[in-house]
Amino acid sequence: MFAMAALLVLSLLGYALDKELATVLRRQQIEQLDTKFRDIDYVIERLRGPEQWERIHAKLDALTPPDRSTQYWILSDDPQIRYGNALAEIVSFSQGARNVGELRIGDRPEPMLIRSAYFPASARHAALRFIVGIDSESYARTRRDFRSVLFASGTGGVLLFALIGYLITHWGLVPLKRLSREAHELSPSMLSQRLVVARLPAELSDLAQSFNGALDRLEAAYAQLETFNADVTHELRTPLTNLIGQTQVALSRERSATELVEVLQSNLEDLERLRAMINDMLFLARASLGERPQQLLRTSLAAEVEKAVEFLDFLTEEASVSVRVQGDAQAPIEISLFQRAVTNLLHNAIRHSPAGSEILVEVSAEERQARVSVSNPGPAIPPEHLGRLFDRFYRVDMARTNSGESHGLGLAIVKAVAAMHAGSVFAASRGGITTVGFSVAIGA
Amino acid sequence: MKILVVEDELKIADYLYKGLTEQGCSVDLAHNGLDARHLALEIDYDVIVLDQMLPGLDGLAVLQSLRAVKDTPVIMLTARDRIEDRVKGLRAGADDYLIKPFSFMELLARLQALTRRVRKHEATQIRVGDLVVDLLARKAFRDGSRIDLTAKEFALLTVLARHQGQILSKTAIAEMVWEVNYDTNANVVEVAIKRLRAKIDAPFHSGLLHTVRGMGYVLEERPAR
Repeated sequence: MFAMAALLVLSLLGYALDKELATVLRRQQIEQLDTKFRDIDYVIERLRGPEQWERIHAKLDALTPPDRSTQYWILSDDPQIRYGNALAEIVSFSQGARNVGELRIGDRPEPMLIRSAYFPASARHAALRFIVGIDSESYARTRRDFRSVLFASGTGGVLLFALIGYLITHWGLVPLKRLSREAHELSPSMLSQRLVVARLPAELSDLAQSFNGALDRLEAAYAQLETFNADVTHELRTPLTNLIGQTQVALSRERSATELVEVLQSNLEDLERLRAMINDMLFLARASLGERPQQLLRTSLAAEVEKAVEFLDFLTEEASVSVRVQGDAQAPIEISLFQRAVTNLLHNAIRHSPAGSEILVEVSAEERQARVSVSNPGPAIPPEHLGRLFDRFYRVDMARTNSGESHGLGLAIVKAVAAMHAGSVFAASRGGITTVGFSVAIGA
Repeated sequence: MKILVVEDELKIADYLYKGLTEQGCSVDLAHNGLDARHLALEIDYDVIVLDQMLPGLDGLAVLQSLRAVKDTPVIMLTARDRIEDRVKGLRAGADDYLIKPFSFMELLARLQALTRRVRKHEATQIRVGDLVVDLLARKAFRDGSRIDLTAKEFALLTVLARHQGQILSKTAIAEMVWEVNYDTNANVVEVAIKRLRAKIDAPFHSGLLHTVRGMGYVLEERPAR
C-alpha cells in the first residue's frame, strides 16, 4: 500500500521534473544558438567587402570546437562566400520554410539544433544563407543523467517508503492487535472483563474506553436480565406448583362433580394470574425494546387522572380513603397507557394508606416534562428500597410475595409507560409521606 | 350462530369447538389455510375465528381472499403480540383481534359484540326475575320496591341485565362500565359486584347476581335449590 502510494507520487513528481528540465534545457539550447547566431549575423550585416570573407571563414574556423559540437555553414552561389561542407541535409533544410529546427547530421547520435537566416544579394555580397547548428548531445546527456538519477532515487524512495510503511503499520498496530486479542477473549462467562486501556496511544484509548463503556452497560443489562429470569422462574413456579399439585390430588381419587368443578375453578384462577403476568411481561419486554405509543393525543392530564380515580372509586371507599387531584398539565399521551400507569400508582397508594387518610395526586408542568405524583401517608420506606421500587417483581416486603393481589409488576409498568413517553419515574419517602410518580415529555 | 374456527393447534381447536357448540353455536373447524379459504368462501358464516399463523396459507392471506368476496366478520387470533401484526390484521380487514393467551370468556364476549353490532331496537325496561331495570328513568326496582343505586352501580347493573344469563368476565365488565381497556390488578369489579349484590340481593329472599369462579359474573334467575 505504502509502496504503491509512494510509486504513484514519485512517478508523477519525476515526470513533472523531467518535463520541466526538458523545457529549461531546450530554452537554454535555443538561447545559446541565438547568441552564436547573432555574433556572426552582426559580422555579415557589417560586411564591407568580399575580401573580408576570409576573415569570416577564419573566425568561423576558430569558433568551431574540435568536437564539432557547434558548426557553421554558409550557402551561396558565390564559391568565395561558401563555408562548411554543405551536406545534403543542410541544403534540404535551408530550402524549407522554417528557420529553426532539429536536424540529424551524419552519424551524430543526437540531432543538431539548427538556425538559418537568408541574406538577399546586396552591393557587398551575393545572396547567401547562413546556418548555425549546435549539437544537443550535452543536453541530451544531462537529461539522461538526470533521468537515471531520478529513477534510482525514485526506486530507492519507493523501497524506503514501503519499509517505513511496513514498520509503522507493524509497530503502530501492535496495540490494536492486542486489543483485538483481548476483545476476542471476552465471553459471557467473564462479564466483568474489560480491555486494558493503559499503554494505549491516545487515538486507541478513546475507542477502548467507549468499548469498555458499552461492556459496562451490557453487563448491567445482562445482570438485570438474569435477575429477571430468576424472578420469572420463581413467580411462575408457585402457580404452576399449585396447578400441578391440585390437579394430581384431584385425580388421585374418585371425586364428585362438585369437587372437580371446585378444582377446575381454582385452577382457572391460577391460570388467569399466569396469563396476566405473561401479558404484563410481554408489555414490559416490548417497552424495553423501545416500542413507542401508537396514538399520542395532547390532552389534560388531570382529566385522565380523574378518570382513573373514578375507576377506583369503589376501592377508595372500601379502604375509607379519599383522593384529591391538584394542578393540571397538557401533554401528548396514549390515554390507555397513561391511565394504566396512574391506576397502578393509585392502587398502590390505596393499599398502603391507613383508613381515613387522603391521597394527593399532583399534576404539574415543568419546562419539558409534565409530572404526576401520588402522595399518601404511609410507613417510611428505607432509602435503599426507594430506587428499586420500579424494578420488576421488587417488593419492599419480600415476605408477602404471593399476596395474590399483585404480582409485583405494577410499578415496573409505570416505569415502562414513563419511558415510552420519554419521561422518568421518581420516589421519595419523607415525614411519613410516600410520594411515587412519573413524568412524560411535554414535547411538541 | 354459525361460526368457522380456523386453528391449527388441535387442543385449542377442540376446546373452542366444544365451548362454542355448548353455547348453542354451530361450529365448523378448519386446521389449515386452504381448507379455511374454501369453507369461508363456500359457506356464509356469521363470524369467523381465524388464527394468524397457519400451515399452507397464513391467516392474513385467507382474510385477503375472503375480503375480496364478502364481509363476514373476522376475529384474528395472534400469538405474536406485536403492534405491526395487529395493524396488519386490521388493515387487511379483520374486525377484531385477540392475543394468545386469551380467555374463552373474552372470545365469547367479542363474538357476541361482533354479531350483534346491529342492535335491535332496545327495550326501555329489562326484567330479570322480579328485578326491573328502567333504562329511561335510570331506576331499579325489585319486588316492587325502589333500589337506591349510585350512577356506577346502575351502569354495572345495566350491563349485567343487558347480558342476562350470560357470564361476563371482569375484563369485559371493566371495559363496558368504566371503558377501561387496559390490564389492571385492581379488584374494582369484585368490589363493585359485592356492593351491587348487597343492594339488589341481600335484602331479598333469592340471589340474582351470581359469581362463576374464575370466569366472571352472571345476572340470572336461578330456581331455588
